[in-house]
Amino acid sequence: MRYFLKRLGFMALTVFAACALTFFLMNVIPGGTAELILKHTFVGLEESATEEQLNQISSRYNLDDPLYLQFFRWVKAAIAGEGIGTSYVFRKPVLYLLALRLPATIQLAGASMAIAVLAGVSLGIYSALRENRISDHILRVATLFGVSMPCFWVALLLILVFSLKLKLVPVAGYGSLENLFLPAVALSLHSMAAVMRVTRTSMLETLGQEYIRFAKAKGLPLRKIISRHALKNAMLPVVTVIGFQMGNLLGGTIEIEKIFAWPGIGSLLVDSISARDLPVVQGCVLAIVSMFLFVNFLIDMLYTRLDPRIRYG
Amino acid sequence: MKEKNTPLCIFLITLLVCASLLSSGCTGTEGSEVTEENPGSNTLVLGEMWEIDSINAADGDGGTLICEKAAITETLVGAKPDFSLKPGLATSWEQLDENIWEFKLRNDVFFHDGSKMTAEEVKDSLENVIAENPRVDSMLKIASMEVVDDYTLRIETSELNPILPGVLHYPDTAVISPSSFNEAGEYVKPVGTGPYKFESFDEQTRVLTVVKNENWWGGEVGLDRMVLKGMPDPNTRAMAIENGELDFTVDVLYSETDRINKLEGINVEKYKTPRVYKIDVNLGNEPLEDVRVRQAMSCAIDRYEITEHILYKVGEPAAGPFLPSMVWANKDLQPYTRDLEKADELLTEAGWVDTDGDGIRDKDGKTLRLNLLTYSARPGLPPMAQAMAAQLKEAGIDVETEVLEMGAIYDRREKGNWDLYLAAYNIAMVPDPEYVLSNWYMTGGPDNGPGYSNPEVDSLIMDARKLTDLEERYQKFNEVEAIVYEEQPMIIVAYYGCAIVKKDYVKGYVFDPTAHDYRINADMYIEK
Repeated sequence: MRYFLKRLGFMALTVFAACALTFFLMNVIPGGTAELILKHTFVGLEESATEEQLNQISSRYNLDDPLYLQFFRWVKAAIAGEGIGTSYVFRKPVLYLLALRLPATIQLAGASMAIAVLAGVSLGIYSALRENRISDHILRVATLFGVSMPCFWVALLLILVFSLKLKLVPVAGYGSLENLFLPAVALSLHSMAAVMRVTRTSMLETLGQEYIRFAKAKGLPLRKIISRHALKNAMLPVVTVIGFQMGNLLGGTIEIEKIFAWPGIGSLLVDSISARDLPVVQGCVLAIVSMFLFVNFLIDMLYTRLDPRIRYG
Repeated sequence: MKEKNTPLCIFLITLLVCASLLSSGCTGTEGSEVTEENPGSNTLVLGEMWEIDSINAADGDGGTLICEKAAITETLVGAKPDFSLKPGLATSWEQLDENIWEFKLRNDVFFHDGSKMTAEEVKDSLENVIAENPRVDSMLKIASMEVVDDYTLRIETSELNPILPGVLHYPDTAVISPSSFNEAGEYVKPVGTGPYKFESFDEQTRVLTVVKNENWWGGEVGLDRMVLKGMPDPNTRAMAIENGELDFTVDVLYSETDRINKLEGINVEKYKTPRVYKIDVNLGNEPLEDVRVRQAMSCAIDRYEITEHILYKVGEPAAGPFLPSMVWANKDLQPYTRDLEKADELLTEAGWVDTDGDGIRDKDGKTLRLNLLTYSARPGLPPMAQAMAAQLKEAGIDVETEVLEMGAIYDRREKGNWDLYLAAYNIAMVPDPEYVLSNWYMTGGPDNGPGYSNPEVDSLIMDARKLTDLEERYQKFNEVEAIVYEEQPMIIVAYYGCAIVKKDYVKGYVFDPTAHDYRINADMYIEK
């Protein structure tokens, strides 16, 4: 319990640090905030802005106040539960925007994660059992492709094959399982390959252990050896990698969401950065960091179940 | 036994449950159901080039979308294909004296909520956009408005503003009904007068649906319903129309236009839009303040090559800032053609010669090396910058291209740390030449990036401002165009193009060159 609280405290601290960092970094990148907001909302990127218009925007959003004051105001409102600001571009509360957009991203990242874990682990085990045989080689080359192909490219190829040639699923859109299929597969490929590689290595290592040889000698069928003895021991590094892949997936949504016109926070974040829509950037970072921390927290809890020797406290 | 695989199983099951719960929870969002499951025969699905962030009729992007692409609202003033003004919701206008204008309104126009449009609502609508949108405010320069009678509105400007009727063609100034706002005065939805009525906007998927306005003052409307989906990726738009998910879209990758045009059932039409690709030349930098160097650069650029192979003919070589089809354009100007001999002559005359044989010209020990900034939001720009750098190198000018984020460009330009800046500028935000010429070429003009200052140009524009006779006004502007054509403070490269991609069964589409991206016209219909 004490560990749990401590962990929670650290998570809160990390979230705070991430928000503070984002806030100050956003103000350091070149280009005037007021100018970019104005051009994104009213004027058009290539057009000029007059001094008068800039002043109007600055005072509308209190951009002339010192940075620490702006940040302090934001934190105060957030802690008091008054929300985390209002978007300059959408003119809606950031929480409202996140509520609209976050489910789509969680759905996409969750589905990708599920595909990556299920396919990655099973292919990894298969590959380990067939070590150095032809199917192992094919799978290893395939993972190499998986890791090295940029996901936007894979996405386009998938559309070409599954939508244009086979006519199985629509190209873009949101709302049904049909729509989810392509983006989730495209996004999961990197992680699937990573999970598979680690599973294979770790499985091979475990299979070389003495207790496995003992189990074999005892006459246990292979299926039981794998599921009861090997898998559980081999899972530890895999679970760690899954945790890290969560970050990868959340990063990948940024590209994938643009391509598939998926209404998640990835595309929202990118647009908001270029428009210097600070409150939204803050909100998205907050959401992404929290998601990442939460998943890794779950995974740490999972460790103790997988390996009872690990005890936190 | 039961202990063995539980942790992993729990984790996986949680993930799956999360995913499936969320997907089931998110389906069937309001508004999109009707169209996706039962498209109806006369529904047009449109793939819009930007994400639909705003349906606020007074926002820059929102205004263009609501007025021109969704055809919900209309402006007081319209424009003909040659950019001369024509009546819109206003039938006529007159400049009573220097600062006072009188607009007569149509008396047969009803809002979508059934109420009649009178001068009172027009006044309210303009007041709203002036308060909301700093840019419209600064273009209109309205000091006060007075309702003379139901169909007459008198506007007083704070200073002489001959472009006032032109500004009232700008989509953000379109007239909306007071019922667009709720009781607290907050904007809710666009209630306009146009051929299509707002039906729904799904804030999550950001799909905008509009339906036919049966009582449109302009007559019969072609489509029953139109669904607008934001698809920011050009590849996705191309594949979506190929796959039959869209009926109409714009700007697929230029290199793809010919391939898509050959597909059965889809056609691609290329048009010029009021926008030019141009290079701002930093006149504050030593080699560039010499007019001969600028002329030489313009001679070294192969505009035909660029429009042919970079833009795939979505665009044309340009001479001056205006399209030749514009009524006020100086028709005598011809695009600079590539002439390396002339470029060599000019540069040699200016003292830039390649003395050390490295292919790059130099003068007094300084090499002719320049940077060229551009951005990637418009797909034609980065490859165009590369091509021009190669072409300029053949003339002995070393150009390094830098593709930057917008904020970084503003920063560099502000600090003067740049030589050349390639951008695509709108040339008819307002259908009047003064807006562009005074912003670009007048001393201290807001878009005068090069820092150009020519008293003759300034006085010509100031003189034109006082003229009410259009012919005489345009004469002055033609002179300005001729001067800047000679002096090249900005190197105008090409006219911007727009590729309209639509299914063959979409009929009745007429491209409006005065639109800010493209305009959906009321006559469009589907014939399957």
